[in-house]
Amino acid sequence: MSDDHLDSESASARAGTAGTAELAARTERLAPLYDAAIKTLYWGFRLGAALLALGVVVALVKHEPLGTEADPIPDVIAMVRAGYASGVIDFAILWFMLTPVATVIVVAASFWRLGDRRYALLCLIVLAILAASVALALNR
Amino acid sequence: MDIIVYSLEIGAVAAVAAILGSMLGLGGGVFLVPILTLFFGIDPKFAVGASAVVVVTNSVVGSTNHLRIRFTNPRLAMLLQIATATGAIAGALYGVLADPRVIYIVFGAVLVYAAVSMVVRRERQVTAPPPGTPDTLRLGAAFRDPAIKEEVGYIPINVGWGLGVGVGAGVISGMLGVGGGVVMVPAMNLLMRVPVKAAVGTSTFMVGMTSVATAFVFYSRGFIDPTLVVPAIVGVFVGGQVGSRLTRRIKAQRLALLFALILLYLGLSLLLRAFGIEMPGQA
Repeated sequence: MSDDHLDSESASARAGTAGTAELAARTERLAPLYDAAIKTLYWGFRLGAALLALGVVVALVKHEPLGTEADPIPDVIAMVRAGYASGVIDFAILWFMLTPVATVIVVAASFWRLGDRRYALLCLIVLAILAASVALALNR
Repeated sequence: MDIIVYSLEIGAVAAVAAILGSMLGLGGGVFLVPILTLFFGIDPKFAVGASAVVVVTNSVVGSTNHLRIRFTNPRLAMLLQIATATGAIAGALYGVLADPRVIYIVFGAVLVYAAVSMVVRRERQVTAPPPGTPDTLRLGAAFRDPAIKEEVGYIPINVGWGLGVGVGAGVISGMLGVGGGVVMVPAMNLLMRVPVKAAVGTSTFMVGMTSVATAFVFYSRGFIDPTLVVPAIVGVFVGGQVGSRLTRRIKAQRLALLFALILLYLGLSLLLRAFGIEMPGQA
């Protein structure tokens, strides 16, 4: 293999590395966004799991049968306040469903803070689409 | 007592679905809905509603690790999410009204496709983009691949096609309660030249948001059954943990043919069910 060929190979490797290094730096600038999203998902799951466990315990203690259909969203809070296990379980299910929505809000805010207005706006469009589905559930 | 036995059965089935889904990287929903409908006789719309909630929970748990190791590309996820979430609402609005036979046919076709693609598995190796490669949408990103201990950079291409496929994946996800990763991961890798690990990480993050749209539409029509959802969430969580450990010990590729046969059996069973034919042992 000639020296010219080796030089050309190492040059292209260097070129590839440089491109990757630039992309790696760009990805790392999003570190606050990654951290915020991880925290939202982490606590979203843990709190949801705690609510679910609480609902199951209340159902077992009170021998309360669960409905085969989740209650309409406006009724869920009233049922939680009244201490119904089914209300707590419906609330836990809704909590899990709202966690990714909260993540979109957090990601949008992070893009905004990092000065990336374009992707902050894209997140708000995603949020509007998800809000449409939530509105459907609210109008049940 | 009956409800406890029923919950344990659903939880066990969900765990098996999650183990299989986790080993194949397909998510639990692909197995959960067919098993619930074929073997428990559960109305497919309640099975799809339960699966959508389970997929959301699974994504919430699974995404954190992918985010931590930077496999997730948040810009790409949010851009594609516009297409998949819109498709999911459209698919779910159709799914809640559709004749169950339509759901059986579409689900059966998706499972047969997944079985075939499992045997004829294709993966595109992505090469690092040279400096100066145009990236007008700033979608390029990089992650450290633990297998080769190197930074892997990439710039997604064919974004328009990706958005088009995203709408289709969303419609399928909305109708069937699956995450859509079964379509989006190959699309991102083969069409958009995103490395498989980044495609899986980005898809795992996306499916939670896609399935939220599905879950709320099914909630709006009363197709979320807590007696089904609660044990399924627990089962899928436990099964997902077991599945990810098994994946590290057993090469899923070695079991590809067995998994493909399971998918094919479930897919053909659903297609036959659409025409009123039940296989032996099914409810």
